[in-house]
Amino acid sequence: MSRRAVCGIVARELIRFQRQRGRVLASLVRPFVWLIFAGAGFATVFTGAGEIDYRRYMAPGLLGMVVMFGSLLAALSTVTDRDAGVLRMVLVAPIRRSTIALGKTLGATLLGTTQAVMVGTILLSLVRLWPGPAGLLLAFVAIVLSSLALGALGLLLAATIRSIENFAGVMNFVVFPMLFLSGALYPVRRLGPALHAVVYLNPLAYGVDLLKHALLAGWTSAGYGGEMPVALDVAGLAAFAVAGLLAAARLLGREEGVTRAAFRERD
Amino acid sequence: MTAAAIEARGLGKDFGSIRALDHLDLEVREGEFFGFLGPNGAGKTTTVHLLATLLRPTRGAARVAGYDVVRDDLQTRRSIGLVFQETTLDRDLTVEENLRFAARLWNLPGRVAAPRIAELLGQFGLLERRRDRVRALAGGMRRALDIARGMLHEPRVLFLDEPTAGLDPRARRSLWELLQRLRAASGLTVFLTTHYVEEAEPCDRVAVLDRGRLAALGTPAELKRAAGVQSLEDVFLARTGHPLAEPSAA
Ligand SMILES: Nc1ncnc2c1ncn2[C@@H]1O[C@H](COP(=O)(O)OP(=O)(O)O)[C@@H](O)[C@H]1O
Ligand SMILES: [Mg+2]
Repeated sequence: MSRRAVCGIVARELIRFQRQRGRVLASLVRPFVWLIFAGAGFATVFTGAGEIDYRRYMAPGLLGMVVMFGSLLAALSTVTDRDAGVLRMVLVAPIRRSTIALGKTLGATLLGTTQAVMVGTILLSLVRLWPGPAGLLLAFVAIVLSSLALGALGLLLAATIRSIENFAGVMNFVVFPMLFLSGALYPVRRLGPALHAVVYLNPLAYGVDLLKHALLAGWTSAGYGGEMPVALDVAGLAAFAVAGLLAAARLLGREEGVTRAAFRERD
Repeated sequence: MTAAAIEARGLGKDFGSIRALDHLDLEVREGEFFGFLGPNGAGKTTTVHLLATLLRPTRGAARVAGYDVVRDDLQTRRSIGLVFQETTLDRDLTVEENLRFAARLWNLPGRVAAPRIAELLGQFGLLERRRDRVRALAGGMRRALDIARGMLHEPRVLFLDEPTAGLDPRARRSLWELLQRLRAASGLTVFLTTHYVEEAEPCDRVAVLDRGRLAALGTPAELKRAAGVQSLEDVFLARTGHPLAEPSAA
């Protein structure tokens, strides 16, 4: 495992991110757009209004959303790397596929975490949520773990899908279901048994749940805090991170990953 | 064992039912400037990717810089430089950032990489453009940067897969002069694929590849003499029964 190579891959992700002003801006503004518009709409049908202000209830979910867009989409940029040829150059370097997977995932983790922390500072004061030092620490752990798990998953997706054209498919069939089945917008216990079972396959659900433990601990007895045990959340996220990394490392070395692009361009 | 820089024994690769490379026996000597001549679809890129450990052989074996390309894939990759047929630069990074990124991937510490990058930038005429995004560079300069990056870790064997394809004649000529200078200075082994006879002409030895098969192998002079013709173009025609310029794939 080459530490220098991992650092190089992470550094490149950071340089690229800060050059894409639009992407930075969108990632920071998106959660507040949701807070204002989705917040206003859902608040009117929210039945727990007597217990907790809906916008406050939304805060952990919105942070989970920032992590998802930040980390998952960063890892998905591997698809662009492949189309641009950069991935081929990385694959011919004297490093293992697992090193590449780790570098990419850590880069995505760093980006997801940074964005969530930036949004979080503003968001928590906006909805006047003061969880205390222990809560903040747990929230940070939740953000890092979720970024890691979603980054690994994004890389796995990137290694699986063939081209950027499938990006829209990923948004529709991965990102949105993941968001709506995460408990970000409403408690998952309200979902029917079939959908509730799907929640356990959703890494974002563990992340959002852990964030609720961290930020909404005071509302747990009212039913608006975390719904799964903290240990299960942490184990779920860790399992997704490890499984995603291992699978992505295997898939990245697949032959088509290198030669397909060259082959396609000529036709 | 000889000090062969590249050694292929019955090397072959199939993609499904396509036999991209049939059965290649080849030896490239240390320090040789070796040309791999063939039309589009002949199997040149497939061969380079096999030798660079990016593809697994369907049959046969190969050693590069003394390393088995399947068993010792990391050492093989450490010993080679590879310039892909299509550019693999990050267009959003600057010239210098691309080289620094590569330096880290090749595990060069900063105190080794910095002077080496400065040296290459000078050698390849990129010094003034070092803070420019690659996006802003013309094709010839991008190619030069691709090659500079391939040379960064001082490889023993440099693979150039159709390095001049897609360049205008002037850029092609200046790149060509650069390659000659580079080789004269370092004594590096160069494995160059091309479909231009002019580029095969100055090579020490040339292998002629057609439809995944080795059609001829020798110095340009030997090849012409053996076929009783005046040009490498005619060597190709004599050995394969069809002209080089036309795509050989049906
Ligand atoms: N990844 C791939 N999948 C399927 N067929 C391929 C692939 N790469 C190359 N080929 C086929 O193998 C043959 C040799 O291709 P290639 O090595 O790229 O030739 P060259 O570089 O000489 O133009 C061609 O028929 C090409 O269509
Ligand atoms: Mg080719």
